[in-house]
This record gives sequence, structure tokens and C-alpha cells, in this order.
Amino acid sequence: MDLSLTPGQQAFRDEVRRFIAQRLPDDIRTRLRLGHPPTKEDTVRWQRILNERGWAAPHWPRAYGGCDMGQMERLILMDELYRAPAPIPQVFNVGMLGPVLMKFGTEQQRTHFLPRLVNLDLWFCQGFSEPGSGSDLASLRTAARREGDHYVVNGQKIWTTTAHLADWVFALVRTDNGARKQNGISFLLIDLRTPGITIRPITSIDGQHHLNEVFFDEVKVPAENLVGEEGRGWDCAKFLLTNERTGIANVGLCRERLDYARELAARTTQGGRSLLQDGKLAAEMAVIDAEIRALEITNWRFLLSPDTAQRTPGFASVLKLKGVELQQEIAQLLQRIAGPAALRRRDHRGEEAAHWAGPPGMRYFYSRAASIYGGTSEVQKDILSKTIVETLP
Amino acid sequence: MNFELSEEQVALQESVTRLLARHYGFEQRRRIAASDEGWAPAVWSQLAELGVTGLLVPAANGGFGGSLCDMLPVLQAFGGALALEPLLSSAVLAATALKLADPGAQRDELLSGIAAGTGRAAWCHDEADGRHAPLWVETRATRDGADWKLDGIKCTVLHGAQAQALLVTARIAGGAPDAPEGLGLFLVEADSPGVGIDGHRLMDDSPAAEVRLEGAAALPLCLDGEQALRIVESTLAAGMAAACADSVGAMDSAYRLALDYMRTRKQFGRFIGENQALRHRAAEMLVSLEMCRSMVVAATVAADDFGSESSRAELQRAKIMLGRHGRTVCHSGVQIHGGIGMTEEYAVGHCLRRVVVMDQLFGDADAHAARRAAAFVTGG
Repeated sequence: MDLSLTPGQQAFRDEVRRFIAQRLPDDIRTRLRLGHPPTKEDTVRWQRILNERGWAAPHWPRAYGGCDMGQMERLILMDELYRAPAPIPQVFNVGMLGPVLMKFGTEQQRTHFLPRLVNLDLWFCQGFSEPGSGSDLASLRTAARREGDHYVVNGQKIWTTTAHLADWVFALVRTDNGARKQNGISFLLIDLRTPGITIRPITSIDGQHHLNEVFFDEVKVPAENLVGEEGRGWDCAKFLLTNERTGIANVGLCRERLDYARELAARTTQGGRSLLQDGKLAAEMAVIDAEIRALEITNWRFLLSPDTAQRTPGFASVLKLKGVELQQEIAQLLQRIAGPAALRRRDHRGEEAAHWAGPPGMRYFYSRAASIYGGTSEVQKDILSKTIVETLP
Repeated sequence: MNFELSEEQVALQESVTRLLARHYGFEQRRRIAASDEGWAPAVWSQLAELGVTGLLVPAANGGFGGSLCDMLPVLQAFGGALALEPLLSSAVLAATALKLADPGAQRDELLSGIAAGTGRAAWCHDEADGRHAPLWVETRATRDGADWKLDGIKCTVLHGAQAQALLVTARIAGGAPDAPEGLGLFLVEADSPGVGIDGHRLMDDSPAAEVRLEGAAALPLCLDGEQALRIVESTLAAGMAAACADSVGAMDSAYRLALDYMRTRKQFGRFIGENQALRHRAAEMLVSLEMCRSMVVAATVAADDFGSESSRAELQRAKIMLGRHGRTVCHSGVQIHGGIGMTEEYAVGHCLRRVVVMDQLFGDADAHAARRAAAFVTGG
């Protein structure tokens, strides 16, 4: 048994570190280290720099702008991005839609969209959830009826992250109200400039605008924007939600945030004494540090080892559950460290954005979303328990 | 990076699992625990035949010169069966300490006895006032001409009443009771004058003892302070990894028992495993168990490569994880069983006892979290 990186992997990690050190713009690094999420401009600028090196969508085939990177190398790359901290490649484009197009798309869709996805010439968002369809996604009702060479879409999506920044949305729509609810769903690519689309902001409990409602009123979508077969969109959705194995644990993110919490605690004083001297707080950090290490090794086992991790269907849920729990604990820890200084509402743009206590105060509230999106923690436990209670010996 | 067991490791794992399945069913274990010895010498000799007792012993002393990684599957199986033989005390702790001690006829004889399964040595280090302070040694070694005498009280000596040889840490040079300098390692024959052994059982039925030394004659195994410190720390490191591995075995048993029960127990006309509250508990058990499995691998690798700051941190993380999650997993195991989980006649509660004992040995989760916290302050 051996937990060290191979010489090749170490060399790759050093190469990534050098690249980030040389190319990551300081303003982006500073913003992220303070705890702000990257702006759209940050993500676009950095992803294009990564793309020059073939690292914007490293696991994609070379033909589509990737570099056929293996899972371990990709994990190393992601970890280093998080630890820098640098923006990670835009997930809807690179982690979700790209692989779906490669598996289910037409040649025309691939040649047109994939290079634009990887270079962020187009910003996609995900149109899955609806007011009546949260965890029970397959009950969605946004309808698309075929009229000649178009679909006409009517309905509403909700919790659409970054829709206000996006150019396009990939959406699940109902094309058939027939028998099984999964069977009548189709996967459509929709240009958000199309007449009949209205985007309304939803302000979340951090006081910020990440989420939106998207309304579709007689929106005409060319039939060529259907991905896969009509009525088989659920296959695309399932593939999209389960194919992502590398990035779910977010170990690098946890480690970078814990490291920042230590730094913040060390320079935050209470009654003239550094908070890090408070043994109880530091011991809490020690526990989280141990949990992060355990998650990291579990992630490696999941990718590499033939033991339970790989044999257990739904094991990805183990990684998501623990990863989310840790992200939330750390966000909470940061908020507690910032303490009273984080009470004051500060603008996340302009001069106030540079104040250290702003992001810990805000991000804590938004961190509560991590156990809701991408399948709630309860849904993850349902998935896991189905495997372990009903199927495994 | 590699998580696979070697062919030899798999073969040994299978043999040990078969042996324990044959001799260590829960009812058999209850009889063994209730016996005078508190463990099964017959099982021990079969383990010796399989090479388990000599796994860590150098080849020159009749062992296999293996690593803790080689022993990991055995340790997990042992914890899973809640086995009571002196694997940890003799084959891990004593073997590790002796391996690093000064070469000599006594040491070689002890090592080959351990490998053969005929000799047992006990690691006598912990003292009550130290609690979880790892280097707390008030036991004093005094020289009288060529002879050494020891005075002090050692507690929670695993299999202390069953060992012929006691490996005792003592202060040679005086100094503070937790000073890293001035330690020595000594061999005391269990039946020599001035040695009082109060044998007892721990909460998990493990045989242990309090050892009182009053001018007991001792043979030095290591008088060099630096080397003695290295022996103590390496032995404790091996103990930490082994305790974690044992613990994860017990957790796994609790988890399996709980799942079995959920699939067979009916209430309100349906299997209790249909209830979401219990299903979610089972899912949480799996998450904790997998995190601990991972951390046990890390601890074992770190103990084999002990010495660096990173290996120390790794072992501490493992003790933190196993201590915390060992309890929560076994609490869930008991809870899912309801009343039957509370009885001494049923295995799941014994899994809880086992992980609690393993948490308390070699520094509990709180103690290690505090040490890691101190390292944060100093930038480690």
C-alpha cells in the first residue's frame, strides 16, 4: 500500500503549480482568497488562459480541445486550482454539457458547441429544476411541442444558477405526456436571447444574486437543438448527473478554505490574543483537517482501488455527502472566526469587497445550498441506502 | 498510489478470516472471554502457525520481517471478530519495541519466542497520572553497580498478566515526568521479586494488568535516551495504527449486524429497513466507515514510515477519525437494534466497547486533536 504520487504525477503537480504561479492574475487570486466566488469575468479570463494549455477541459479528447487527461491527473489539476485559489472551469459547460454532447450529440452539435464551451465563448446554465420539481426532477412540466422544424417551449425553470450571466441554457422539457414520467422528457439547447424568455433574479439568503427564475412563453427552439432522441432526455440527464466522479468531493476547496481559516484565526484577536491560541477552535480545525484527509484518500480509493468503494453502486454519494458536510462546516467556521466583524452588510463589489470580514459573513449563508443542489443530502442517503439495505449481501 | 493488497497479504487475510470464522463466532468468543485466561491459547498457536505472531519480527529472529501494512488485514479481521489474543500487546507493541532495542541474547530470545507464539512480552508504558500524555513516565530506574532496579506503577498493560516478559519504560536521568529526554527501556521478568501484577479485564473483555514495580530487577534493553525515545514513539505509532485498524474492523461488524437486522426485523408489519430514518442512519454509518477505512490505510503507511512530522500528523488524524466515528457508527449499530442492542448477549454492543477501548489507547481523539491544534499554532 502506498499513498504517494508517482514521480510522473509529482512532476505534473509541480508543472501545474508553476503554471498557476506564472499565469493566475493577482486580482483573481486575491478575490478568491478573501472568499468571494469568482465573477463571470474572472472565470472567463482564467478559463481562456487554461485553454491555451489544454487544461480548460482536460478530460475531454484532444479533438474537442481537451488533452485526454486521466482521472488522477485531473484530480491533481483540480486540487491545485482550488488551492491556488483559482476559478475552476465553468462546470455547466465543461463538466456537464460537454460530456453529454460527446455522448449523445450530433456531429454538427459537437463541432459547433464544444470549442465554444471550452473557451467560454458561450456561457451555459442548467435548466432542470422547476417550482413543482425539485428532488423529484422527472415530474417536470415545462412543455415543448413540435411544430415543423421547431419546438415551442412553455413553462418555468427555477434555481437557475447564473442564468442572468448566461448565453444559453440546456433544459429538460416534456415532449410527451405519455406513460412513464421519465419517458417523455427531452434535452434541449436554448439560446437565451430567443423572444419569449424572461429571467427574474432570486436573491438568496446571503443577500446576493446567484439564482434565477426563467420563464418560457411560446419560445421557438430549432429542432436541431435537440440533444439525443426526442423523449430520451432523461438518459442525458442521468448521464450528466452521474458521470462526474472526479470533482464531487472538492477536497482542494476544503483544504484551501481551512488553510484560510487558520490564517484568519491567527490574525484575528479577541481581547488582545490571537484566536488560534484558543485551543477549542484550533481543535475543531484539527478535526476538520482529519476529515478532509480521510475524504481525500476515500476519493483516491474510489478512483483507483478495486475495493468496496468502486464496487458499491452509488458510492459517489459518499463523497458528495462528506464533501458537502465539510464545506459547510468550514464556511461556518470562517463566519464564526470573523465573528462580530462579519455582521455588517457589505457590498460584494467595489471598495467594500476588499474587506476581509465581508465574504465569511456572506458565504456562510450561501454554503447552506451545498446540501440542496445536485441532489440533496437526503436524496444522496436514499440512493446509498437503497444499495446497502436492499442489494448488497 | 496503490491500495491493493499483495498476494501474500490476501492469502494471509483469507487464512485468518477462516480461522476466526471457525473459532471466533460470537458464542465461542463469549466462552473464551469468560475463561480463566480470557483468551484462547489454542487459537493463538494456530495464528502462530499462520505466521501472524512473527509478522513484524525480523527474519533473523525467526519472523517474517514484515510491515504493519502486511498486518493490516489481520488487525482488521481481529477487530471484526472482537478477538482477545495478545496480537496487539505481543505481536505489535512488544515486537516493535524489541526490534529497535539494543541487540543482545535476551532480546533475540524474546523476539524468537514472540514469532513462535510461545513467548509473550507485554509493553508497560502508560501511567495513570499521565492520562493521554504520551511520554509521561514517572517510573524510575536506578543503578546499583551493574544491576538496575525499577520503581513505579504501569497501568493498562495489555495482556500484562499473561506475559513472561515485561518491557518497561523508565526514567534514568530524572527530569520532568513528560520530558522526552532521559528515558530508558528495560526488561523485567514477570515472576521476579518486586513485581506485583494485578490482572483485570478492560471494558471489551481484553485482558490487561496494573504492574507495580518495587525495586524490581531489570535488564537494560536501551539506555541511550535518544534511541529510547525513538523506541517509545515508534511503538506508540505502531499501537496507534493497530488500534485504528482493529477499530475499523469492529465498526464494520457493527455496520453489518445493523444491516442484517434491518433486513430481517419486522415491526408494524414491515421490515424496519424500510424506514427512511433508519436507512439514512445506515447510509451515515457507511460514510463514516469508509472515511475510517481510508484513514486506517494512511495510519498504517505512516507507522511503517514513522519519523517525519507528516507521519505523526497522519497517525493523529487517524486517531481523531477512528475515535469519533467509531463511537457514532457503533452508537447507530446499537440504536438500530433497539433493546437487543443493549444486551451483553448480543454482539453489537461489544463492538461499541471495543472501539471505546481502542479510542482510549495511545491517546484518544480529543488528546490528538489538541496536539494537532498545538501544531497549528506553531505552524506545523
